[in-house]
Amino acid sequence: MGKHKSERSLFMESLKILVVDDEAPISSYLQRKLTKQGYMVYTADDGEEALRQAFLRLPDIVLLDVKLPKLNGIEVCKILKSDDRTKDAQIIMLSAKAQSDEVQQGLDAGAVRYLCKPVGFPEIFEEIRRLHDKGEALKKGRS
Amino acid sequence: MIERLRVRFERMGIFPKLLFGFLFLSIVPLVILGYFANKNLSDTGLQAVQRAEEMGKQNLEAAEEIGMTSIEDSVSALDKKSTEAIELRTVELAARIADFLYERDKDMLILSSLPHDPEKYRHFYSASKRDVVITEPPLGGQEPSPLSPVQSSNPENRTEWRHRSPQQFKKLSKPLYKEITFVDLNGMERIKITDGQVSRNLLDISKIENTYCRAEGYFTHVKDLKKGEIFVSEVIGEYVPGWLSITPDGITIKQESAYAGKENLQGRKFEGIIRWAAPVHDDLDRKIGYATMALDHTHVMEFTDHVIPTEERFTVHSDGGSGNYAFIWDHRDRCIAHARDFFICGYDPSTGKEIPGWVSQSTYDEYRKSGLTLETFIRQLPSFRDFTQKKPACKEQIKSGCIPLDCRILDNAPQCQGWHEGTEDGGSGSFLILWSGLWKLTTYAAIPYHTGMYGKSKRGFGYVTIGANVDDFHKDANITKDRIQKAIAREGQTIMSANSTTRDLIRRSAEHNRKVITIIAVLAALAVIGASLIISFHITRPMKRLTEGAIAMRSGNYDQYIEVTSKDEIGQLAHSFNEMAKAVSEVDKMKSDFITIASHELRTPIQAMLLGVSGILGGFSGKINEEVRQDLELAKTGIERLMRLVSNLLDLSRIESRKIVLNKSETEVHEIVDRAVAEVLDLANAHGHTIVKQIPPDIGQIRVDKDRMVQVVINCLSNSIKYSPDGGTIIVKAEQNEGEMIFFIADNGYGIPSWAQKEIFRKFFQADSIMSQKVGGSGLGLTITKEIVENHGGSINCESPLPDGYFPGLPLGGDRKGAVFIILLPKSSSRHGQA
Repeated sequence: MGKHKSERSLFMESLKILVVDDEAPISSYLQRKLTKQGYMVYTADDGEEALRQAFLRLPDIVLLDVKLPKLNGIEVCKILKSDDRTKDAQIIMLSAKAQSDEVQQGLDAGAVRYLCKPVGFPEIFEEIRRLHDKGEALKKGRS
Repeated sequence: MIERLRVRFERMGIFPKLLFGFLFLSIVPLVILGYFANKNLSDTGLQAVQRAEEMGKQNLEAAEEIGMTSIEDSVSALDKKSTEAIELRTVELAARIADFLYERDKDMLILSSLPHDPEKYRHFYSASKRDVVITEPPLGGQEPSPLSPVQSSNPENRTEWRHRSPQQFKKLSKPLYKEITFVDLNGMERIKITDGQVSRNLLDISKIENTYCRAEGYFTHVKDLKKGEIFVSEVIGEYVPGWLSITPDGITIKQESAYAGKENLQGRKFEGIIRWAAPVHDDLDRKIGYATMALDHTHVMEFTDHVIPTEERFTVHSDGGSGNYAFIWDHRDRCIAHARDFFICGYDPSTGKEIPGWVSQSTYDEYRKSGLTLETFIRQLPSFRDFTQKKPACKEQIKSGCIPLDCRILDNAPQCQGWHEGTEDGGSGSFLILWSGLWKLTTYAAIPYHTGMYGKSKRGFGYVTIGANVDDFHKDANITKDRIQKAIAREGQTIMSANSTTRDLIRRSAEHNRKVITIIAVLAALAVIGASLIISFHITRPMKRLTEGAIAMRSGNYDQYIEVTSKDEIGQLAHSFNEMAKAVSEVDKMKSDFITIASHELRTPIQAMLLGVSGILGGFSGKINEEVRQDLELAKTGIERLMRLVSNLLDLSRIESRKIVLNKSETEVHEIVDRAVAEVLDLANAHGHTIVKQIPPDIGQIRVDKDRMVQVVINCLSNSIKYSPDGGTIIVKAEQNEGEMIFFIADNGYGIPSWAQKEIFRKFFQADSIMSQKVGGSGLGLTITKEIVENHGGSINCESPLPDGYFPGLPLGGDRKGAVFIILLPKSSSRHGQA
């Protein structure tokens, strides 16, 4: 793991992740761990805060819980995807609900991935790394 | 039988029970009442008709009896009157004949006193004439057409006015005598007048062959006559034969026979004479000869030939067949006048012998045996021997045509004996005799003429008889009788038809009543059915709703409300049910809410724990030693198990509260199985199990919620893995069968005892707590599985132990008893199907 860390910290300085979860312990844990992995991590604990942060920080990746106060995750996802500023953000939905129709709703709203809670940190990190790699490849291809 | 009925009754719904009961209670008495009312009505009516009929019959019988009695009375009165009238007529006829004959005596005396001069004799002859009715058809001989009767001009005479015009028979004035002679003392004819002429053919009449029919023996008698004495002969004439044929319909007479009145108009008539003779004396009283006159017998026959003892009184031609005619018998009881001339006794002119009389067959047979001639046999026959109608007439004589009637020997005609005996004293009378099937009155009266030989008996010249049909006397009475009988019959018919009309009326009225009763019964039945319908509708509909509600509640749908339409027991029940349903629903909701809330609340700390533990284990919190790692792995296992439990609880809660929505799509069976197998492969491998897929490559698709169906297969496989000794085999098989897809998940594990084969699908059931620890089941997997399958409209069952060879390649034995989950799914339809 240490090997990963040193490599990543070189490339990921500009990569921004917005973690949206109404459970403060969870979001702070993720912020701590992901920051340690070299990402710029911002948090929000409701849907409106999530939108404000997103338009302010313009994150590359959003970890979005579905169950949120004020605006739920699906709605937030739709708004982000329909705004030019944030439409390129990679959104990973997180939800306790594993129903296929909800999964489908999330994917329809523009999420790239849908993870079911409870989920271990290694699975989340793996997902972010995969999107990161893909994003790097795209950047290289474009330049 | 009764048991069966009872069972059937118990199985009936409330509605049929009520309907049946109401119908039975209301219709049966109605029908019984109707039946008796109708029966009584028609019975009473019919009895009345019967009484009326009997009374009518009795009346009729009484009327008939009275009628018949009065008819009998009038018949006997009429008969008596008629009899007296006919008797009187007979007597008067006889008297007239006697008078006539006595006049001839006077003629004789006159003639004998005349000088024996041919001219004087001829004059005498011509002066002696008398009218006779012409019977020969060409000259007349027909019944005269009756004149219209004279009416009384004075109304006071019109009561019972009777009038009869004179009978206009055509008549001919005929000489009384056929012959007048003067015979000398030697028997030589000196003067002879025949046919009005002086005859020159003078004969010696002392010789019998020179006499009429060679039968006159008067010369021997006249010799002894003194002055003033007269000889009168019997009737002498040639017998005229006749042939009868007797048939059941009556007697017919052959045409060649003698004249027989209406029966044979053309026949030859009997021509006879009666000879009068008296001595002639000269002025000196010396007997010089004899004067004779041969009376034409026609004039005697004329007295009876036209007599008919009926209303007609007289006729041209008498009718022997009718039985109504008059006839004459001489002093020796021989027939000398008859409607049928062949019955008149006569002589054979060639021999001068008398033709023997008709006898019965038995007497004739007797003659045949006697060896005598018929004349001799008959002459010596005793008179009136064994006379009876029972004897048949002699056929041989009928055949010969020689059948003159001689009362003394006509032994099959007992009336002859009656006449003979009745005239013995010169009297008259009558009697009834049943002759040829008809009651006949026969009268007799002696002819009181006693000149000469006729003075020897009181019978005189002989006797007149008249035969008459008794029925004709009381023709009027018979007409009345007939009328009465007809009237009675008519009356009877009227009564009968009236009765039959009444009967019809009663029947019709009964029919009408039956109809009315039937209509009432039907209406009542309809009313009862309607009432039962309404009542039972009010009872059964809420009951049905209650039942439906209860059934719905049993399957977990607690949100039930039944409309309360009444305040009766049923209404109360519905109300109670609603309250109960509400309470149950609330409790259920509370439970669901609790589970949901509890699960959510559990999930957040679990997530936190998982993140922390998995992060440490993933090396994101720095390096850890092996001991820490092992400890954290234990923690992670616990977290995961807790995770599953919460997840399953949530699932179940959702399924049970019907919040689950099946996301159905056509899904490859292979995909479902492959995904499920992939999911459990690690676990299976960890225990050394082999999973064998036995599914035909072309099995196709099935319309299901893919993820949930994968979960179903996973749950079954997990169960097999959990409850099998390590190193087992699990077979997943699928096959199609008539719109169904059948999945088999079979293992050679410990098996499931039969008592538990249903229980395993219940919440929190675990076959063995020790076993469950091996893999850490939540006890909800199979419950969820069952719910999912049933939500798809399918079913899941478990069978154990497996029979040998049921699944080839699944070695059994020892602990390996084996078990199989059988899942049946409809290929397309489902209970909660949604696109």
